[in-house]
Amino acid sequence: MASLNDFLFISGLLFAIGLAGVIIRRNIIVIFMSLELMLAAASLTLVAFSRFHVQNGLPDYNGQVFVFFIITVAAAEVAVGLAIIVALYRARQTINVEDLTSMRG
Amino acid sequence: MDSLAWLILACPLVTAAAIHLGLKKQQSLAALVSTASAAVTLIFALIILKVDESRTAFDWVTIGKFKIEIGLQLDAFAKGMMIVVTGVGFLVHLFSLAYMKDDKAKARYFCGLSLFMFSMTGIVLASNFIMMFIFWELVGLSSYLLIGHWYEKNSAADAAKKAFLTNRIGDFGYMIGILMLWGIAGSFTFDGIAAYFAGSPETTWILGAAVLCIFAGAMGKSAQAPLHVWLPDAMEGPTPVSALIHAATMVAAGVFMMARLFTTIGIETIDGLWGIETIAWIGGITSLLAALMATQQDDIKKILAYSTLSQLGYMVMAVGLLDPEAGMFHLFTHAWFKALLFLGSGAVIYACHHEQNIWKMGGLKDKMPITTLTFGIGTLALCGFPFFTAGFFSKEQIFEAALQANNWPLFFIAAGVACLTTFYMFRLFFVAFLGKHRSKNADHAKEVGPLMFVPLIILAVMALVVGWNPIARFLAPLHKDFHFHFGWALGASILSLVIGFLLAWKLYLNTEEDPLAKNGIAKIFRNKFYIDEAYAKVVGYGQDFVAAVVHFIDELVIGGLLVGGFSRAAGGIGRLFGRMQSGNLQGYAVLFGLGVILVIYLTVFVS
Amino acid sequence: MSIIFVLIPLLAALAIFAGFKARFTALCASTLTLFFGGGCLFCWDHPVWGIAPQILSKPAIHLSLGFFDGMSVVMVLLSVIVLFTATMSGKCPEGKEKLWYGSIMLIGAGALGAFLSTDLFFFYAFHELALIPTFLMIGMLGSGERKEAAWKITIYLAFGSIILLAGLIGLVGASGSESWLFSDLLASSIDPAAQKWIAILLIVGFGVLISLFPFHSWAAPAYAAAPAPVAMLHAGVLKKFGLYGLFRLYPMVAEGMQAWLGLLIVLLLGNILWVGFVTINQKRLDYMLGNSSVMHMGYIFLAFAALISAGSLEANPLALPGAVILMFAHGVSIALLFMLTDTIRRKTGTVELAELGGLAKAAPRLAFLFGLAGMASIGLPGLANFSGEVLVFLSGFHEYKGGALGCVQVATVLALWGVVISAVYMLRAFRQTFQGPAVAATHSDRVKDFGPFCQIPAAILALALLVVGLYPNSLLNLLKGGDSTPSTEPATEAPAE
Repeated sequence: MASLNDFLFISGLLFAIGLAGVIIRRNIIVIFMSLELMLAAASLTLVAFSRFHVQNGLPDYNGQVFVFFIITVAAAEVAVGLAIIVALYRARQTINVEDLTSMRG
Repeated sequence: MDSLAWLILACPLVTAAAIHLGLKKQQSLAALVSTASAAVTLIFALIILKVDESRTAFDWVTIGKFKIEIGLQLDAFAKGMMIVVTGVGFLVHLFSLAYMKDDKAKARYFCGLSLFMFSMTGIVLASNFIMMFIFWELVGLSSYLLIGHWYEKNSAADAAKKAFLTNRIGDFGYMIGILMLWGIAGSFTFDGIAAYFAGSPETTWILGAAVLCIFAGAMGKSAQAPLHVWLPDAMEGPTPVSALIHAATMVAAGVFMMARLFTTIGIETIDGLWGIETIAWIGGITSLLAALMATQQDDIKKILAYSTLSQLGYMVMAVGLLDPEAGMFHLFTHAWFKALLFLGSGAVIYACHHEQNIWKMGGLKDKMPITTLTFGIGTLALCGFPFFTAGFFSKEQIFEAALQANNWPLFFIAAGVACLTTFYMFRLFFVAFLGKHRSKNADHAKEVGPLMFVPLIILAVMALVVGWNPIARFLAPLHKDFHFHFGWALGASILSLVIGFLLAWKLYLNTEEDPLAKNGIAKIFRNKFYIDEAYAKVVGYGQDFVAAVVHFIDELVIGGLLVGGFSRAAGGIGRLFGRMQSGNLQGYAVLFGLGVILVIYLTVFVS
Repeated sequence: MSIIFVLIPLLAALAIFAGFKARFTALCASTLTLFFGGGCLFCWDHPVWGIAPQILSKPAIHLSLGFFDGMSVVMVLLSVIVLFTATMSGKCPEGKEKLWYGSIMLIGAGALGAFLSTDLFFFYAFHELALIPTFLMIGMLGSGERKEAAWKITIYLAFGSIILLAGLIGLVGASGSESWLFSDLLASSIDPAAQKWIAILLIVGFGVLISLFPFHSWAAPAYAAAPAPVAMLHAGVLKKFGLYGLFRLYPMVAEGMQAWLGLLIVLLLGNILWVGFVTINQKRLDYMLGNSSVMHMGYIFLAFAALISAGSLEANPLALPGAVILMFAHGVSIALLFMLTDTIRRKTGTVELAELGGLAKAAPRLAFLFGLAGMASIGLPGLANFSGEVLVFLSGFHEYKGGALGCVQVATVLALWGVVISAVYMLRAFRQTFQGPAVAATHSDRVKDFGPFCQIPAAILALALLVVGLYPNSLLNLLKGGDSTPSTEPATEAPAE
């Protein structure tokens, strides 16, 4: 059986991959997917802690409830985010973040 | 009687205001109103002459126990001076009616004259130093307005400005002196100061310094060297103004004020005060310099102006020699005959179509007999022709004062000045009135009308008689009886007259041009020792240069480096932060990540 | 009751922005305030004027308005006079009436509010209210380098206000008083060590607002660029806020101020002599006036320095009245000068001294009024400024009892030289503008004199100068009333003097 450390290692790896994707990739859809990856990493951590934090023979469900919330919020976020991306593409004909610098100070 | 005194003060002020507000269009009426008001004040001044001394005041500023009064001090000193001011003033008004007949801004001119009468009355009747200072500045204003009457001429406008500014420099000292005296004696009023010094308190050099500071005010107003430069330029004003303000009354205010100060503090206290002999020396030097300058002037008014300077130097010298009676007496006689001379020159200028150069006149004695006669009397009085002219008596007293003080250098300066006075006055008289006509203007001259020659005749009579003991006793502000005795003073007086007259006779009778014109020394006199040029340099390169440098530094250091530095620093920091707002999403993400890591590090590992 | 002074212009501003006829509304409002201002001279110490509703309970802030003492009355009088004349003068650009007259009304409301506030918070807040439209007007409707000037004044005054706010908060904090009412604050006592630091914050904070040397370089460009009414209101009225504040708060930090006497003397001499020389070198009428107004602030600081050196208002009774008269006189005279300069600019198209000359021939009335105002500002007796200046100089020598001169006396002597300097630049400007032969810009074919209607505001200001100059007791009698009935809360408020 895998130990807590293995779970944490995997989720750290996932988070790092996600973060790297957010920072490095130029395509906004890929960035979006990387974000989801980071969320998944966080969820994995929560579930893992919940599973390994046994009280009275039961896992700590607080963590798992949290994950449900994350999934819900992520779904909403995906819906809104994708809509924004579509609108953005319509306006600018690009989804490359390097071209989207109108907030430059 | 107090209300009468207030009327003397109010009458010209009301006149000036009325002319300014209502009579600008009715020019001739304005002139008449102003002259009438001068006549009324003269009558009032004669009425109060023989009433008892009195004092009346109202509070001008009241702060708790502290107050500044506007008060009238009707003592013999002030009442005598009032006679000079209103007497000469009235005659000058009368003369002006004719002289300024064709001027386009007659109303403004008479408004200025009335304002001057008001201010001068205020100085004379003032009961304290603050009030005197107030009116002191106001006469400066009216002098400024009247010198600049023909303001469209650059020279007149510049002369007016110069007069005001030079006086301001004097007033700077005057105010300091008043403040210091206030600190020492605890009062502004003449009564209060006199009461303090009556207790013969310990005096220090501070009191001497205060007196000298106050004297600086007199130097400005009475045009004593080195602040004398404005008076000759002031001749740019209309000639009656020169007679009234720049010869008879206002310029004498400095002497009046010093005499007032000395009699208030008390001669015994003044005697031996720190630096007090400076005053006499400044007077003596001024009178000598001015007399030398006068010998080589060609403009009839300039000659008289330098002569005024020189006579004012006499008066200041007399006061500085601790004989204010002699100074005031000379002020009194001088006012009449100098007004006469100036009005006479006004008549000449008027008759010669505004020709002022004496070398272009000549032979006026046939054309203008009355003017010539009265001018001659004025000349004799100024030269101090012995035994009956007014100038003789007062000059004699000044010589006596120098002898009394045992100050031989000043005595010889005074005698030398007397000699020079005779010389330049007869030079003027010979060249302008005798000989042949030297220009068309002089050829066409004819005797002036009665409005002009009546004042001349009255003044000529006064110039002859006011020195006599009974009349002087009646009219003069401060006076001690004159007693004949043979001695240095009389000898110097007669000798200087003779030498001066003979020199002028030899050099200038029936000459066509100035025999001294080529002389190197005379050239220095003609150019007024180059003092005006030196001042122009000092002002031009000193003050204006300093101002330019200060302005430059102000813009550069304060505006540029200090403030500019702050604003550049703020701008630089702003640009730095602005650069972080790249608009690059991923840049933000990196920063965000770093921020999170920092927060985690701080929360978990540090505390 | 005194809230009407704030409400009338405030409502007028709202009405103007809402679309009422701008000039008419503004004139009505300013006439009303002038009327009330005149009326309150006779009954200002009646309790009916005071109001003090509490706005916040902790810290206890009251919208407390009323005449705290005679000084407030004089400042209110100054404000209503200048507000009225400023409304009447200047020429509004076509189509900008709303902004123009609305801003004037807002500035007026702010100024009046500041002088009427007897609560430290509103005292500060009303002044800030007045500053905003000032900035806007300079930036949007000014002339010349208006943008730069607007930025300069905005940054400077914001900087000053921040420091001032720090000082005021420090003051309230150190006093331990719950409320911000002047009366409560004046009744409390502050630890001397804290006083020292509060004092310097107040000097610098107020100093920037008053253009104390070396924080003066905003003044001349801003006044030169500002539309005439704004220059009149700011130089004439708003600038006095700082001086009013210093004298008002002085009793609380009297000890602390003493540490800064030397510094203050150096700075005020900088104002008088340094800026005086800067003024001499000006080549434009408007810059010259702007700098001269900076310079004359030095005299009021001189009165303040005399006060500091004496130690309390009672020890030098001449300083405060002298300063108040001088504030009034300077406000009126500089307003008149700015107004006439604007007239010259409009009539001849220039304010460069080199391009002017001989204007008196074409416009004698203008010349007379300018001469009067100029003479007033250089302290000619008979006009208001002299009465103030002479009292200030006397207050400088109040402590002097013979013997060597102290540092305040030396400062007074040096400051007296400023009287000469100001005569130099003012007479030069007058000579250059009005005297001498007429030039192209001032030829009588081109330039017409003042019409009778335009003369009204100028005549009002000139009259104020004359009345106070000829009889200063007319203002001093107002100041005397300080120990009678204080306005808002007769039971608790301490008399100011």
